[in-house]
Amino acid sequence: MFKKILLATTGSPASFGAARVAFDMAKRYGSEVTIFHVVGVPTKAFSHVVNDVRTGEEVEIDDEYLSWVEEELKTTFAKQFAGADNAKIVLKTGVPSREVLREARKEDSDLIIMAASSGENVTFHKGYPGSTLQKVAKAARCPVLSVHRESASYWGGFSNILFGTDFSKQAESAFKFALSTARELDCDLTIFHALDISGKVLDQNEIEENLLVARKRTRETYVPLMGDFKNYDIEVWEGTPYVELVKLAREKSIDLICLAHHTSELDPERARIGSTVEQVILRANCPVVSVSKPDKV
Amino acid sequence: MPQGKLCNRQPIKTDEQLKLTLADKSGIQYYAEMEELDVDTDLLWSTIQKTMKSRTKTWLEICAHCGMCAESCFLYQVNDRIPEQVPSYKIQSTLGHIVKKKGKVSNEFMRHCMEVAWSQCTCCNRCGMYCPHGIDMGVMFSYLRGLLYSQGFVPWELKIGSGMHRVYRAQMDVTTEDWVETCEWMAEETEEEWPGLTIPVDKQDADIMYTCNAREPKHYPEDLAEAAILFHVAGVNWTVPSEGWEQTSLSMFAGDWECCKDNVNHVYSAIERLNPARVTGTECGHAHRATVIEGPYWAGRPDGLPPKPYIHYVEWLAEALREGKLKIDPAKRIKEPVTLQDSCNYVRNQGLKDVTREIISYIVEPGYFVEMAPNKEHNYCCGGGGGFNGIGRFREQRNVALRKKMDQILDTGCKLVIAPCHNCWDAIRDLEEEYEIGIRWSFLKPLIIGMLDIPEGMRVEW
Repeated sequence: MFKKILLATTGSPASFGAARVAFDMAKRYGSEVTIFHVVGVPTKAFSHVVNDVRTGEEVEIDDEYLSWVEEELKTTFAKQFAGADNAKIVLKTGVPSREVLREARKEDSDLIIMAASSGENVTFHKGYPGSTLQKVAKAARCPVLSVHRESASYWGGFSNILFGTDFSKQAESAFKFALSTARELDCDLTIFHALDISGKVLDQNEIEENLLVARKRTRETYVPLMGDFKNYDIEVWEGTPYVELVKLAREKSIDLICLAHHTSELDPERARIGSTVEQVILRANCPVVSVSKPDKV
Repeated sequence: MPQGKLCNRQPIKTDEQLKLTLADKSGIQYYAEMEELDVDTDLLWSTIQKTMKSRTKTWLEICAHCGMCAESCFLYQVNDRIPEQVPSYKIQSTLGHIVKKKGKVSNEFMRHCMEVAWSQCTCCNRCGMYCPHGIDMGVMFSYLRGLLYSQGFVPWELKIGSGMHRVYRAQMDVTTEDWVETCEWMAEETEEEWPGLTIPVDKQDADIMYTCNAREPKHYPEDLAEAAILFHVAGVNWTVPSEGWEQTSLSMFAGDWECCKDNVNHVYSAIERLNPARVTGTECGHAHRATVIEGPYWAGRPDGLPPKPYIHYVEWLAEALREGKLKIDPAKRIKEPVTLQDSCNYVRNQGLKDVTREIISYIVEPGYFVEMAPNKEHNYCCGGGGGFNGIGRFREQRNVALRKKMDQILDTGCKLVIAPCHNCWDAIRDLEEEYEIGIRWSFLKPLIIGMLDIPEGMRVEW
């Protein structure tokens, strides 16, 4: 199910965690991994000048520059390249999010792996989901896995998957992905719903009643879809959803969190993945995969 | 002296030659060859005799050198009002000199003319409005560019741009296959949120045929998706042609008139093939000028019109809003000071000044729209028109040219600029990058989509 992995990287340290996961998966599951790097963003209308994504400087793209960039990437990921038989580097110019989506579509990728942000932005810390991840996650047909903390990338394959649901339509796709991954890789699957009580003062009886309802709903929604899959567990907690998700993940030594994102915001610059997914990406100690579309699940 | 391998009198007609020229970083070899390039003075003079019409002759003749055009030129204003930037001086000392010398001019002089023609005039035609005799230096500079192009004295990027049109029939290397693929891709990406949305390619007898700028499929395909959303919401029966979709004309900036004619004929044959009731293009000024305003003359159409009514995007948008096909939710209207960039190419050159303001009246809360001064047909060029945006050799001069627009925007006090033209949009983006004045800029499409009152069930919320 991870035959074709697209690792979208700026080559900066912010993406090392993502790269580690991508190469590890490629070696473990025999995937083909494409290291995809957007060299520069086109500038000045019709022109041959682009802004280098790492330095921000204006550069003119020629063969010499491209081979230099390729060499840089090979050096950066030298360790990972060793032993990865099925890896290639693809360089493009353009708007990064658009080119990542274009490549994923062209290659029919099964999974996009990327860092949360380039790490260059001082306003938002490096784990904060940047606009490229936001746009890619919104439009990609395949799951988008993001790793932003180095610690989150020290894992040895998937064995514990946490699926968080808000019962939305997109969550169906995320669930299918979580289930098929769990099946294929023989993992434990935790299905989790957090009853959102943030900012509310509720009577304890009411909370408990709502928890019962949510537990019933979770069971009724997902158990019939699992067939003979038995390695699952259902948890329903109350609190602020992202806090509870991260807490549960830590407690259960989860190595993959699977969520759907959805936003009603049209402007991709402003469209956030959805505050829960965003916060989970920022805080989780393991890779977080965002799945919204049914195509690759 | 021989013609160069890259810099010569021949247009780029093959992919091989295009790639060869592109591979010449910054045009170093190209410009080196230009210094050695032979001027075919006989050809130059015979071309002038064949192509220079009485209007240009009269204009050159009757110019009183009164200097009343000086203040009309933004390049004169931002360049310390030096006499060399007075429009009448600029044209008399270049085209006027070539004519006076009956084409017997040197290589050095031709290079000087190239510099003036592409870095001291954007063909915005503002000077023509202020000349007591109605002499339009912009028109004459376009003519001069044609002469320079025919002799090989054209900036490297525009030689390539024109070559792109010849080889790919688009200003960028977007093939028919790439284009159709992009239409499918954008439809797929958008239909989930907008059930029933399609981007129909080559549909016969549609109400609207849509054409665009190759930069859109190349780098910003969401622009096409946005156009599709608005046509979809407005319930328009529309289509895009698989061939003849590229409306822009860098060849017009380059002075490659043969290619201009070819470009526009390509679009016109798409119209004839698909037989739509009307055609509209994207938010682009020069594309409209090339295909709708000047194109019919290049194509030799006797009525001076495209084969079918061909309206600018702002005209279509205003109509859709006026007729209620697109409804704006009053609560979502712009409630911050906002200004509008009038594009020279469809405002001064076609008079579409009121229709853009009609759109403003629907989308901006009363009291928040601030006019630039001057505005409408008196507005200044964005600073990037006429190909100026893309020429690396003249980047410094272009950045100086942006200052006029910067001052105009700063004077409005607005942080948001609506720019329904690609070149203006790019120039304003670049001026923010260069001078960091803290502004935002937008095409109309994304703004409108964000404030639509969408009929129930038409859009699925994510």
